[in-house]
Amino acid sequence: MPKDILSIRYRWYFIAAAAIITLLMAVPLKDSKINTDLNAYLPDDIPQKVSLDTLESTFGTTDPIIMFFETDDILKGTTLMRIESLTSSLQQAEEFKDVVSLFTTKNIRSEDGTMIVDPVVKHIPESEAEREALRKQIRGNPLAYKLVVSDDFRYSLIMFNPKPGYSDDVLLKKLDKLLKENPGSEKVYFNGMPYLRDEIQKKAIRDLTLLMPLGILIMIGFLYFSFREIKGVLVPLSVVVMAIVLAMGLMPLLGYDLSIIAVLVPILMIAIANNYGVHIVTRYQELNARYGNRSMTTMLNEAMYYLRNPILLTALTTIVGILGMTTHIMLPAKQMGLVSAAGITFALLLSLYYVPAIMSLLRKGKPQKSFLVPSHTLVDKFLVWAGNVTTRNPKMVIAVFMGFFLLTGAGIYRLHVSFNNEKIMPVSHPLRISTNIANEHLGGTKVISLLFEGDIKDPVVLNEMERFTGDLKKLPQVGSVTSIATVIKTISRAMNDAGDPLYDRIPDTRDAVAQYIEFYNLSGDPADFERLVDFDYTRANMNVQFKADNIEEFNKVENTINSLMSASKFCKLKAGHCLVEKQMARSLVKGQNYSLIFAFAAIILLLWWIFRSLRAGFMGSIPLVFSVVSTFGLMGWLGLELDIATSLLSSVAIGIGVDYTIHLFWRLKTELSDGVEYAEAVRKTLKTTGRGIAINAFSVTIGFAVLFVSGLTILKAFGFLIIFSLTLCLLCALMLIPSICLLIKPSFLEKSPIKNFNHIN
Amino acid sequence: MKLKNILLPALSILAFTGLRAQDARTIADKASDVINPGSMEMTSTLKIYDNKGNVRVREVSNAMAKFSGTTKTLFKFLSPPDVKGTTILIYDYENKDDDMWIYMPSLRKTRRIVATEKGKSFMGSEFSNADMSKPTMSDFTYTLKGSETLDGRDCWKLESRCADAGVEDANGYSRKVAWIEKSTDLTWKIEFYDHADKLLKVETFGDYRKQAGGKYFAFKLNMQNVQNGRKSEIVINKYQAGSVLKESAFSATTLGQ
Repeated sequence: MPKDILSIRYRWYFIAAAAIITLLMAVPLKDSKINTDLNAYLPDDIPQKVSLDTLESTFGTTDPIIMFFETDDILKGTTLMRIESLTSSLQQAEEFKDVVSLFTTKNIRSEDGTMIVDPVVKHIPESEAEREALRKQIRGNPLAYKLVVSDDFRYSLIMFNPKPGYSDDVLLKKLDKLLKENPGSEKVYFNGMPYLRDEIQKKAIRDLTLLMPLGILIMIGFLYFSFREIKGVLVPLSVVVMAIVLAMGLMPLLGYDLSIIAVLVPILMIAIANNYGVHIVTRYQELNARYGNRSMTTMLNEAMYYLRNPILLTALTTIVGILGMTTHIMLPAKQMGLVSAAGITFALLLSLYYVPAIMSLLRKGKPQKSFLVPSHTLVDKFLVWAGNVTTRNPKMVIAVFMGFFLLTGAGIYRLHVSFNNEKIMPVSHPLRISTNIANEHLGGTKVISLLFEGDIKDPVVLNEMERFTGDLKKLPQVGSVTSIATVIKTISRAMNDAGDPLYDRIPDTRDAVAQYIEFYNLSGDPADFERLVDFDYTRANMNVQFKADNIEEFNKVENTINSLMSASKFCKLKAGHCLVEKQMARSLVKGQNYSLIFAFAAIILLLWWIFRSLRAGFMGSIPLVFSVVSTFGLMGWLGLELDIATSLLSSVAIGIGVDYTIHLFWRLKTELSDGVEYAEAVRKTLKTTGRGIAINAFSVTIGFAVLFVSGLTILKAFGFLIIFSLTLCLLCALMLIPSICLLIKPSFLEKSPIKNFNHIN
Repeated sequence: MKLKNILLPALSILAFTGLRAQDARTIADKASDVINPGSMEMTSTLKIYDNKGNVRVREVSNAMAKFSGTTKTLFKFLSPPDVKGTTILIYDYENKDDDMWIYMPSLRKTRRIVATEKGKSFMGSEFSNADMSKPTMSDFTYTLKGSETLDGRDCWKLESRCADAGVEDANGYSRKVAWIEKSTDLTWKIEFYDHADKLLKVETFGDYRKQAGGKYFAFKLNMQNVQNGRKSEIVINKYQAGSVLKESAFSATTLGQ
């Protein structure tokens, strides 16, 4: 009697090892932390972050929250009262500082030879005439008009910074409370990074707690539907759960925080990790149906003998594809690549050793009749059709695929990289609405800060700032440019009467500038200056506020700034959160390309090794190129942007999608080596292995389909696109590759099969 | 235990609390009176430190006199050179908002300023305009918070709470607690609390000198903002009780002369 396989002989050791590793990896789970700070996704030493740090070390950090009010007329008494009351509550709250609203923004003006400094709204108007006078006054105030209140007076904002030491959650709860204490009919929307982070956090927690159990439930349903046997559900499921625990436990163990895309890790495990166990159960059920008198151990020995290498190789290609993510520049992608690869490796080891071990302890189930009678499901009908079409008219199949490829692929020219963080949220989310309000009616949501160095009180420096302001304001994207020069000009309007040569301009002497500043100190708040100029007046900060819905608009503003800087003696640095965001977009493209190159190269090498043919490497890559290009093209046509989630598509698609082609090559090779004629070999392969590939693809698809209920738009899009991409890989493996094989009859398929490299189904 | 051993302390506590409210206002009035200089002339150095220890120094000459119930104050910058000659004139009326003018030598121009917020900074320092002028006693409610020894001096702890939100806004704080020496009525320290009742600033006084007429004047003032880490100090270099300046010197039209 032949010896049992290793996993059965030492089954208790393997079961114990699996349990112990899982339990140990469950311990760090309690230390899991969610980090939704998108800026933390890039390394700290990139130039954009260093510049931002330099600027913030002088002028303080800004992380403002903005509250937008929408109503038919902002100057209505009840609306102004609400804004006033909220302004005062925010000023008194210990969590906030630097409150900017209609009631704190200055109205500096000259009247009858007197400089008057008042808040924009000093008294709430009581009559129509007073209201219109206030409207007129606001229209003439460059510090308020189109900045704090919109041009059509339908929108107004309150902007403030959180004090250090408060979590986003605490801040947002406080704001909710303040809004409840100050009710009104105006619609209120929030914006700003603390709000975005808090919203992502809420949605990420919801996704993690909802999607994972949902995915597992769907998987249970699918497994039961496929096997009609409890062990057919529990064994693959236990592999999935253990792989999830290992992958998620590794994150805190390696010091990684859970990012916005961390929810993809368990979903990946659900979609991929059960595949190998499924193959083993399928094989066991097939043997049980055919040879009902064989013992469980005998059947497992046989199943593992056939499946060990295919499982090993398909897992290896998936791991290699996923590892492509570790070449990404974005930290969450790197981290996800590493822990997912570890999770799949663990799932592979569990499938090879733990699955046979545990199954050998279980009683044989009733033979499933479905294995003995030919099935006529929709899938079977499609496979027969595919086999016929492919063998009768391979050129037409190739032509149709080429046509599809060119049509969808052309969309790549329309593909944009996402650099607007708020697009993580659905279109109807308050954050998206408020961003639109800011872009359409107020100064925009992007800010680039420019650092000027020199004697800031020197009119030469101030006039240079004025030149920047003038040129930048000519751009339609730019909403406002604020600097110490703006303030000096505002003071000049209050110090001098209209028509006076000094009115609305930078004075000619340094002393006059110094006296203007001293004068402002008497009536204004020195804190007004803190964000614009440093204590000893050697460094100044210019804030350029603008809107940019896409990278082209952004580049117009940045290019103007660059050309102004190159001709400037004093402007030394540009910085801003939006520049870090833009770098993130660049990193997405770069990281995506690195992952793609790595995955392709690794897959070609692997296929070369498996089939001992470089041609196999290139042919096996055809479905991947087809799928990746078409998916990016489709994104272009549909207006879906390349973002942190979709930039991982190609790695995942390549890792999973290549398996289908490997299975196909194997079976084809086996059939051909058995002397079957080429066309018949294709038909037979599709009917047998094709079915396995299709079922496998279906199980992966339903795993990813749970992403449709994610609260985050980018994860929904990822779910849709990965399914599209894998469907293309599947169709290529079932129709395009056999057609090409029929036409060129590659020699690597006709060599004798590599020992033990047998097909799965 | 004898009855008086219980009753005496109890009675004294009752007596003390009963007296507290009226005592508090009296103490506040006395503390205000003892330093009220009426008119004076002085030069001082104002040092403004940021939270990194950088310093800005201003030298200012200052004259104050009362004419027909209105306190008129002149500030003239002596240094740094770029603001030298800049002069500020303030009329502090009993029953209405202050009037303020500024003269800028570089423009040879006088401008009137209307600014209602006394809580704003004084010359960009941590002192506020309100700190620099005599408070209106009726704007506050006074409570005695007991006694405490400060640097060896037996002091009353007196709380002055802003009477309403308007007073709070005008002064930039919700309440202040002053340490007033019992024997001299001199204030040595004041803590200011913000609208959320968190400690905002701590002002300390030093080098009190008795002036002709029996009033005292602090030659050293220090204001530490505990929330932003900045501080400012004023050192009086020269002081003279009473002013020789005529009322015409406190006129907006003669500021540049």
